[in-house]
Amino acid sequence: MALRVFGLNIIKNNRNILQNVGKTNGVPTNQGAAAALYATQVTVEAAPAAVQKQKVSKAMKSYLKRANEHDEFMKTQHLEFQIGKRHLANMMGADAETFTQEDINEAISYLFPSGLYDKKARPTMRTPDEVFPARKAAEFDETGRPFHSMFYTAKPNFFQLLHDIVEETNKLNDLEERMLRRGNKPDENQKLETAGFQLLPKEHLERVLVEQIADIEYQNFSNSMERLIASPYAYKSKAFIERFLKPLIDQSKQLEVPKPKIDEQGRQYITTYECLRKTARADVTVRLPGTGKITINGQDISYFSVEQSKEQLLFPLHFCDMLGKVDVEANVEGGGTSGQAGAIRWGIAMSLRSFVDQEMIESMRLAGLLTRDYRRRERKKFGQEGARRKYTWKKR
Amino acid sequence: MFRNQLGNLSRVSSQLQRISRVELMSTEVQPAESANSVINEFRTAVTSPGEHSALQLAKFYKIPAEEKKQIFAGGGLPKQYEQQIKTFTEACLMVRQPALELLNYIKNADLSKPAVRYVIYGDNGVGKTLTMAHVLHYGSLNDFLLVHVPWAPNWTKRPKESTNSSTQEGFIDLPFDAAAWLVHFKTQNAKLLQKLQLKTSKEYVWSKRESTPAGATLVELIEHGIARIKYATETTAALISELKLLSTGGQCKVLVAIDGFNAFFHPITRIFSDNKQLVTPDRITLTQPFLDITKYDWTNGICVLSVDKIAMTEGYMDSYMPRYLLGKTGFEHLDPFVPVHVTNYTDKEFLSCINYYMDRHWITKTQPGFEEQLKFMSNHNPYTLMQIVRGL
Repeated sequence: MALRVFGLNIIKNNRNILQNVGKTNGVPTNQGAAAALYATQVTVEAAPAAVQKQKVSKAMKSYLKRANEHDEFMKTQHLEFQIGKRHLANMMGADAETFTQEDINEAISYLFPSGLYDKKARPTMRTPDEVFPARKAAEFDETGRPFHSMFYTAKPNFFQLLHDIVEETNKLNDLEERMLRRGNKPDENQKLETAGFQLLPKEHLERVLVEQIADIEYQNFSNSMERLIASPYAYKSKAFIERFLKPLIDQSKQLEVPKPKIDEQGRQYITTYECLRKTARADVTVRLPGTGKITINGQDISYFSVEQSKEQLLFPLHFCDMLGKVDVEANVEGGGTSGQAGAIRWGIAMSLRSFVDQEMIESMRLAGLLTRDYRRRERKKFGQEGARRKYTWKKR
Repeated sequence: MFRNQLGNLSRVSSQLQRISRVELMSTEVQPAESANSVINEFRTAVTSPGEHSALQLAKFYKIPAEEKKQIFAGGGLPKQYEQQIKTFTEACLMVRQPALELLNYIKNADLSKPAVRYVIYGDNGVGKTLTMAHVLHYGSLNDFLLVHVPWAPNWTKRPKESTNSSTQEGFIDLPFDAAAWLVHFKTQNAKLLQKLQLKTSKEYVWSKRESTPAGATLVELIEHGIARIKYATETTAALISELKLLSTGGQCKVLVAIDGFNAFFHPITRIFSDNKQLVTPDRITLTQPFLDITKYDWTNGICVLSVDKIAMTEGYMDSYMPRYLLGKTGFEHLDPFVPVHVTNYTDKEFLSCINYYMDRHWITKTQPGFEEQLKFMSNHNPYTLMQIVRGL
């Protein structure tokens, strides 16, 4: 009952759905809606009376048997889940009828507190529909005759998809030709914007199709999709294309540049708090019309005696060509020399974004100046001299 | 990072070098005098510190080799600066504001009044010792007898040998250091001593058989101290008391220069007595004459002292201000004194220094903006700049 795998919610209890046991899919997914297109395409009522009269194929027989077993299994799972939920609700002193999944999660994390780092490794309790992965329904009728014309390719959904893509492409090509003949041009305003998107990755696509595909097949898929997207009239089949696009992680939010404030002397300034590196914590203020004065905890740059730390500190300023144009004030505590220098470097770089153009910000990002360095000290291991180094090998 | 960036334009710089060599060759045709006194914006031909004024500010002047040998043979220039001099095959000092200020004071001082104490102070590596070197050069050229201690903490931190004093109970002698100082004194003032023919005022009896009679020259006194190392410390004391008398009598002028003077008041030393007790500097016989000569009970003299963080030991290096470094006793000993603050390079001095390094081909690989980087990396600090541009 309490396993933590998310499955496809395609099993409907009131309808006895035939399931193809042989085609299991253990990969977690949230693409229930998309998957439903393919996976529920073929649904056969299990064991209708008419079946008895007709000749039933051996494959169908064994499939029906497994499907029944699975249904039974799911039924008991559901029952157990309901009982478990009731128990939980009692323990928590809540009403079992109105006990929602959120309440369950809360109760579990309260009753079974776990120190495990990975959230997926912590105990959970979910409905069996989510826990047990969906399986493909039977793709043939009682007489053993497949529904899908590409059944014997073993991957009908995938090849159907390829087929569809090519069909769309051809449609667009025809359209383009017609438009050319008429002298019309594609509408620039409606142009398909794919900058922030990427094609579904392979695992994702497999989940959608409920089929395992090979690398080369995925390559075929992405090639044909690219061909389709490259068409000038791609916006005509926007709905189709968008089913296979995934938005990239939005980085603009992270890179949102704060507006500089004005201090009492009329200078622009930006303060970046929580500049972290190793165990050092710093806050850095950068003031724009400046003379290049650097103040660290009240001292000048000689606060750092090591050459490398000074270089670290000056690097963002030098990179943006702002040496001698801004003043820097930093308060830093914790950590060692290089950690403190790294923290201030990050703070300066983040603050400087407000004073340079977008292009420079981008090159700063590419130079790694705006990336937080998460590396920490690695622990020593027993039986070893240090984190990685082994003791000197001695024959005896 | 920085060195790599410097490395990019090596070819261009070698080209530049070739051009400058051609220029040098062309100057050889001209009279030798003008070729020697090549005046650049960072160099001055005025080699006498007495003639330096604000006109020569931030410019390098050359100390002639024989004078350098005479004054600084026994120390007085920092070791790394000495190495740089060797590399550049010329001893150049920059004329800087604190030295000019100090020289101005000295030139206008009324020597008939009690000796004035000047205390040079400043952060690490700003050029306190070189300021003192500049003044020493002035003193040497202007007939001052130099009483110069190149680095006082040497006596408290790494003495060559320590023995119990035979004359004063509970005191420690540093015979080798005293003898070394006598040698240093003799080389610095050899010519002047020859010229002035100073005589001792009283008889010094070292032992039953050995004595220096009244009326002996100071050179004899010194030479006895050097030859009989056992009595070197007492000879030093005798010499300095003689110098005080002579200068008060108007027979000579004395310039006292002690680098790291605060070491005489710092209670922690590395000298231990027989019963493994730490010996404070006031129990070292060698410090007494130098404390004596820095008092103001004599005339015709000038004391230039420097206080330095490095002269202290760990845990006592929080500030470079004289009051902190000298402590209460030291401050009261020197009070009243004239403080001279040495600071980091100004922009003008910095550029001049960079130009000098380029002239010496010490910096050869340049790219636009390298001065700016050096400026921020070194924070205008002369010593740090020297460290950054040094060879690997």
